[in-house]
Amino acid sequence: MEAGGEPTDTIAAAAAGDTAAFERLYRQYSPRVYGLCLRLTGQRETAEDCTQESFISAWRALNRFERRSRFSTWLHQIAVHCVMSRRKGLRFEYEVAEPTTGLPDRADPGSDVPPLDLERAIAALPEGARHVLVLVGIYGYSHAEAAGALGIAEGTCKAQLHRARHLLTETLQLEKS
Amino acid sequence: MNEREYEQLDRLIANLPKEVVPPATLWPRIAGRLASTRLRRPPMALAAAIALAAACLASLFTWAVMQGPKVPAVIQSIAARGSFEESRDPKYVLARDMVERSFRERLALLEPATRAKIESSLAVIRQAHEDIRKALAADPESPVLQQLWESTWHDEFDLYDHVVQATQPTMTRT
Repeated sequence: MEAGGEPTDTIAAAAAGDTAAFERLYRQYSPRVYGLCLRLTGQRETAEDCTQESFISAWRALNRFERRSRFSTWLHQIAVHCVMSRRKGLRFEYEVAEPTTGLPDRADPGSDVPPLDLERAIAALPEGARHVLVLVGIYGYSHAEAAGALGIAEGTCKAQLHRARHLLTETLQLEKS
Repeated sequence: MNEREYEQLDRLIANLPKEVVPPATLWPRIAGRLASTRLRRPPMALAAAIALAAACLASLFTWAVMQGPKVPAVIQSIAARGSFEESRDPKYVLARDMVERSFRERLALLEPATRAKIESSLAVIRQAHEDIRKALAADPESPVLQQLWESTWHDEFDLYDHVVQATQPTMTRT
């Protein structure tokens, strides 16, 4: 049975210790979790590690999962927290994402900006601005949600988003298009 | 830069695909760790302690009821409220329910003022327990939170033990 698009039976089976059910959850949710980690960290290996740790943590904590929130929301919270926990240990050398790494290569139909250029520009943003842009701009978090996940004030979150947009437009030279 | 251009940028960003397929090697790595990673359950020692406490409380209560006052209906209604952490182990659930039921019944034997203090302490412990549970949901790997989580369990059952100790002299006098 699925409630609100979420496989509740599979979640319940995984919570009871069914690894096959947990693998089904992984297949369904890992692309979004990995995408989130990849964009937040800018590093493939770190994103893989964070994705792995997120699912291991979810497995351990599934019997405490509160159905008041969506499973996907809960899982993403774990992933963001995992990335934030590792932040201090990251080398701030961002890889330039290539299509072969799994990053998107589909262009927006109405855009002259190749998505890869946009991904590169996002990856090159300062950390604070990038984190906010990824959560709010790409993954649709509210400012309150993003601020809570990142441990910053909501006003700081808004300022960082403004900064990110400004830096991106300069980088992409959208003003000339 | 005007708002229209920002809107264009926002649209580009929002239209980026949210999903990126992880490497095929990632699941085998995770699966390998699942085998050695069990779902977190209440510690067996704690479950055993609960069972023992349940038996002790139940027998004491039986003795108390035979010699002491009846349990007021209001306390019975409090006892009916579920407030313990959920567990899927039927034996654990049974033992846990016995403890709470017996505790509530013993609590009813105390003076109202003492009972109020205990209820207040219990509320503080359970609030802490709930706060830690929420924090653990976001950070399941935190060893500090895990320790606090178990600590609040022990605090709660220590309180039950204190109630037993406090009610015993009363029963002896009757």
